[in-house]
Amino acid sequence: MKGRRVSSTGLRITTILVTMVVGVVSVILCCCIFLFLDRYRSAMVQSAQTSSAQAVSQVSNTVDNYLSDMEQAMRLVEQSMTESADARDRLLNAFLTFRPDVVAVTGYSAGGALLDCWCLEGEPRADIGQNLSFDQQQASGASGAYLSAPHVESIFEGYYPWVVTMTAPLPAGGETAWVSLDLSFASISSYINNVGIGQRGYCFLMDKSGNIIYHPQQQLLYAGLKSEDTAALAALADGSHANDTVIYSLTSVGDSGWRVVGVSYVDELVNRNVAEMIRLSCLLAVVVLAAALLTSWLLSRLLGRPLRGLADAMESFETDADHFAYRPVGGTREVQELSDSFGHMVLRIQQLMSTVREEEVNLRKTELKALQAQINPHFLYNTLDSIAWMCEQGRNDDAVRMVHALARLFRISISKGHELIPIRREIEHAESYLQIQKYRYKNQFTYTFDVDPDCLDYLCNKITLQPIIENAINHGLDLLVDEGRIEVQVRPDGEDILFLVRDNGVGMSEEQIDAILHRGPADRTGIGIRNVDDRLKIYFGKRYGVRITSELDVGTCVEIRMPRVREGEYETK
Amino acid sequence: MRPSKRALAALGLAAALLAGCADAPAVSVQHSVALVAKSTETEFWLSVFAGARAAAAEYNLKLTVTGPETEEDYEAQNAMVQQAVDDGAEALVFSAIDFTNTAAAIDAAAAAGVKVVAIDSNVDSSAVSTYIGTDNYAAGRMAAQAALDRVEGELRVGIVNYDVSSANGQEREQGAVDLLKESGRARVVRIINTLAEAQHAQADTTAMLQQYPEINVLLAFNEPTSVGAAEAVRQMGLSDTVFLVGFDSNVATIDGLQEGSVDALIVQNPYAMGYLGVESAYRLLTGQGGGMEDVVDTATRIVDRDNMFTMDSQKALFAFEQRSE
Repeated sequence: MKGRRVSSTGLRITTILVTMVVGVVSVILCCCIFLFLDRYRSAMVQSAQTSSAQAVSQVSNTVDNYLSDMEQAMRLVEQSMTESADARDRLLNAFLTFRPDVVAVTGYSAGGALLDCWCLEGEPRADIGQNLSFDQQQASGASGAYLSAPHVESIFEGYYPWVVTMTAPLPAGGETAWVSLDLSFASISSYINNVGIGQRGYCFLMDKSGNIIYHPQQQLLYAGLKSEDTAALAALADGSHANDTVIYSLTSVGDSGWRVVGVSYVDELVNRNVAEMIRLSCLLAVVVLAAALLTSWLLSRLLGRPLRGLADAMESFETDADHFAYRPVGGTREVQELSDSFGHMVLRIQQLMSTVREEEVNLRKTELKALQAQINPHFLYNTLDSIAWMCEQGRNDDAVRMVHALARLFRISISKGHELIPIRREIEHAESYLQIQKYRYKNQFTYTFDVDPDCLDYLCNKITLQPIIENAINHGLDLLVDEGRIEVQVRPDGEDILFLVRDNGVGMSEEQIDAILHRGPADRTGIGIRNVDDRLKIYFGKRYGVRITSELDVGTCVEIRMPRVREGEYETK
Repeated sequence: MRPSKRALAALGLAAALLAGCADAPAVSVQHSVALVAKSTETEFWLSVFAGARAAAAEYNLKLTVTGPETEEDYEAQNAMVQQAVDDGAEALVFSAIDFTNTAAAIDAAAAAGVKVVAIDSNVDSSAVSTYIGTDNYAAGRMAAQAALDRVEGELRVGIVNYDVSSANGQEREQGAVDLLKESGRARVVRIINTLAEAQHAQADTTAMLQQYPEINVLLAFNEPTSVGAAEAVRQMGLSDTVFLVGFDSNVATIDGLQEGSVDALIVQNPYAMGYLGVESAYRLLTGQGGGMEDVVDTATRIVDRDNMFTMDSQKALFAFEQRSE
C-alpha cells in the first residue's frame, strides 16, 4: 500500500530538493570556475609576457652598455691612431690586456689593405686568403661605426675564434682610413647564457634582418640541429608576442640595429599554473558540491519526513475513520501548522460522522413510531371487532385470551421505549400476534416455534418478527386454499443469531421480493420488512439484516441475521 | 536509505575526480648514459663530446665520456664498455674501433639491458638501436669526386687509411675506390693503413710518397691521417703537385687548406653525432624510441680553398663553443 503510493505520486521532495540544489550549485560552480580560469589564464599570460619583456629589456640594457663601452673603446683607439707609433703600441697593448674579449685591433688603408694589427697572441699570417673582419664595400657605404655579422677571425694561423667586428672610419688625411675591433662573444655570452625565462626559456641576439648574432645554443644552430624562425621574428615589432605555445619578446638594443629576442614557453609559464589552478578548482568544486548535497539532504529530511508522517496518518484515517486516533507530527513550523489543521479536521469529521449516524437512527425510530401509530388503530379495530363478535357468541374464554394477547402485544411493542429487547420477549410478541391472527383467520393456519433456549437471553430489535409474519399471512397464506403453516426458528449461527420464518404459502417472485425489501413505507400500512432490515443495518452493520428466499407455490423463507448482543453490550460495540 | 546512498555515490565520484586531478607527473629520474669514443684527443671527438654534453644538459642525463688512447686499441674499448655497464650506465653511445672485435662486448652490454646507439663507426651487433653518423661510402665517393673535379689528367692516387678493421674507414675507402674506378682516368697506386695518429701518418705518408713519386692525389680518411698527410706534403714541398683531400676539421688542416698543402676537406658533423647520439639514448630510455630510424645520416660537405670562408663552411669548420682542451 505504501509502496504503491510512493511510486504513484512521482518524485519525493528529497529527490527534488537534492537534485535542484546540486544542479543549481553545479551550474553556478561551473560558470564561476570557467570564468575564473579564463581570467586567470589571461592574467598568467600577461604576467609571463611581462616577465619575459623584463628579462629581455635587462639583457638589452646590458648589451647596450657593452656596446657603449666598445664605442668608447673605439674612440680611445681612434685617438691612439694620432699618437706616435711607440705610444700607440703601448696604449693598444694595455687596452688589449684590459679588454680580453677584444681579439684584435686592425687598421686599414683607404684601399682596404691591412696596415696594422695589434693582438696579444700570434701574428697575422703573411698571406691572408680572405679577411672576414673587413669588407671595404660595407665600410665605404657606412656613414659611421658599424657592427658586422658574426664570422670567424681568419687572419691568424691556427687560431680561428668567432667574432663580430666593429669598424669605424678615421678622419681623412691619415694613412689609416678605418680601424676595426674584433670582439669575441665571451662577454655577450656571459650576459645572455645566464638569462633564463622560466626553466626552458632563453634569450638570443639577432640583427635587424634576422641574422643570429649570438644564441645560447649557437653550435646547435650551426650543426643544423635547431633552428629559429628569425625571418618571421624580424618582421615583428618590439614588444611581446604570444601564440599558443611560445611567447616571443623583442627589444631593440639602442641604435645598434641588434635586437634581443626572449623565447619562453606558454606550457611552462602558464599551462602548468593553470593546470594547478584547475586541480584546486576541482577540489573546491567537489567540496562545495558535497556540502550542498549534505545540506540539501538534511533540509529535505527536515521537511520531507514529517510530511510523509502526515501522509501516512491521512492514509490510515482514510482506511478507518472511526477508530483513528491522531498523533500530531513534529517538524518545521509549517508542518506543525499543517499537522494541527489536520488534527482539527479529523476531530470535526469524526464528530460529523457520529452526528450523521445518530440522525439516521433517530430517523428510523421516528419512522417506526409513525408506522406503529398508523397500524395500531386498524389492527386494534379489527381485533376488537373479533372480540366483540366472540362475546356476542358467548365465547367468553376465547374473548379473554384474545384480550390478554392484545394487551401483551402492546406492552411488548412499547417496551418502555427501548429499541432492543430480549429475544424471549420478541418471541412472546410474535406469538401474541399469531394468536390474534389465528382467531381472526379462523384457524386457517398453524404455527410452530422452534427456539434454541441459549438464544433467549440475547437482545434483538423489537418488532422484528411481526412484520415478517404479517407479510407471510397476508401474501402467503391469505390466498392459500389448503391449511397454511408458519414455522419460526431461532438458532445461533457462529457468532450470530439467525431468525428463520418459513411459510408454505404461494411464494413470491423476484420482483416481489425486491419490492418488499426496497419499497418506501409511504404506500403501505404496517411496518415494512424494509424497516426491519434498515434498523438491523443501522444498529449492527451492513452484514446483518433480512434475506428472503422464495419459491412460487412452495413457500417463502425469510432469514434475519443479527449479532449476539447481551444486555448492556450494544453501547460498547 | 536512498539519499544517503546517493550521497555516498557522489562522494565516491568526488574522490575519483580528486584522484584524477592529483595525478601529478612522475618525477623523472636522472638516467645515466656512457659515451665510449674511439679517441679523446682529436678535434673531431672534442666536437662530438661538446654535442653530447649539450644534449645531456638539455635532457638532464648523467653523461660519462671515455675513449682509448689510440684508435686501434679495441681491447681497451671493450674494457671501457664493460666498465660503463658495471658503473650502471643505462644506455651506451658507442663508436666502434673494430667492426667485429667489439661486437661481443656490445652484445654483452645489451644482454645486461643496456640500450646501444652507434655513432660515427658502426659495430657488427644487432643490439644497435640506431646508427647516427656519416654515410661513409658516400663520403668516400665525395672525397674522390673532390679530387676528380679539381685535378685534370690522370689521377695517380695514394690512399692513407687508418686501421683496417674500422668499419667507417673501410667504407670510405670502398666508396672512393669505386668512384675512381668508374671515372676511368684514375688508378689507385697504393693504399696504406697507418695508425690514427698524426706523426705515424706523416711518416708513413712520406715513405709512400718517396716510394711512389708518381702519386699526384692523396686521400686521407680521418682527422689524424689528414693532419699527418698534410704535414708530409708540406715538408716534402709537394703542396703544388700533390692534391690532398682530407677528412674533418682541424686547425692544422685548415691552415694547410689556406697554405696549399691541403686542397679539400670532407667535413662531417661531429657535434650533431654527439648530440643526436645522446638524444637517441634518452629517447630509448624514456620509451620514445618507437619510430626511430635505423640509420641517421648527419650532413657532410666538401670544403676547399675557395669556399672555406662562406658562412656555411665557417659553421661547419669552426666550432663556436670554446672547447675544453
